[in-house]
Amino acid sequence: MGDVVKLYEDYKDRADFLTIYIREAHPTDEWRMKSNEKDKDDVCYAQPKNLEQRVAIANDFAKRFKFPVPFGIDEMSNAANDAYAAWPERLYIVDENGRISYKGGNGPFKYDPKEVRAWLAQRFGEVRHLEATPSEKKG
Amino acid sequence: MDEEGGVEMNPALKWSLLPMGGLIVIAFVLLSIMAGGPKDAIQMVRYALPYMHRGNLKVGDGAPDVRLVALDGQSRFQLREHLAGRPLVLVFGSFT
Repeated sequence: MGDVVKLYEDYKDRADFLTIYIREAHPTDEWRMKSNEKDKDDVCYAQPKNLEQRVAIANDFAKRFKFPVPFGIDEMSNAANDAYAAWPERLYIVDENGRISYKGGNGPFKYDPKEVRAWLAQRFGEVRHLEATPSEKKG
Repeated sequence: MDEEGGVEMNPALKWSLLPMGGLIVIAFVLLSIMAGGPKDAIQMVRYALPYMHRGNLKVGDGAPDVRLVALDGQSRFQLREHLAGRPLVLVFGSFT
């Protein structure tokens, strides 16, 4: 998600962004992964059974990362997830006319914010704010 | 009477079951390595594969409009309300 935040910071003046929170990928009561305890700093939740629980996790997420990107939550019917075949994670770009202009692959292996950056760079020119990448600051 | 003879296993079937069983074992081992462990392989098949779809959306299709819930848990808005004459990047994902 860090890559997406950078993208947002770099291009928010030129494009709109919307994060859509969908059903959990690795809840404790389904395919629990060790990395959720170790690498992800104890991000352990059960799969939400109702909207209240889903909203609560989405809020935890937004607060924890001070997530700046506009946020929407999928209904418990998973309508957004189904319409966009999104699970576990996926990126799209919709053009000004409301048409799909880019469809990313399924996460985690084919999920690639770099492709979105390339699309935006081709359209608007490369934008990279220095604050976003400390390593580049030195150079 | 002929049908009773059919109960005995067809030799061709018997010999094809052996490599098939071997393939299943190999597939399971590969899946375990990919997913991180034998338990992960089982959970992946049970909880991940049924939800993973390519979907029918193609580049050029109209973006489906869906109703979403705001972070306050009360208000609703339509996805396409965020289309405001600029490209819209959609980021689908969850916390875990």
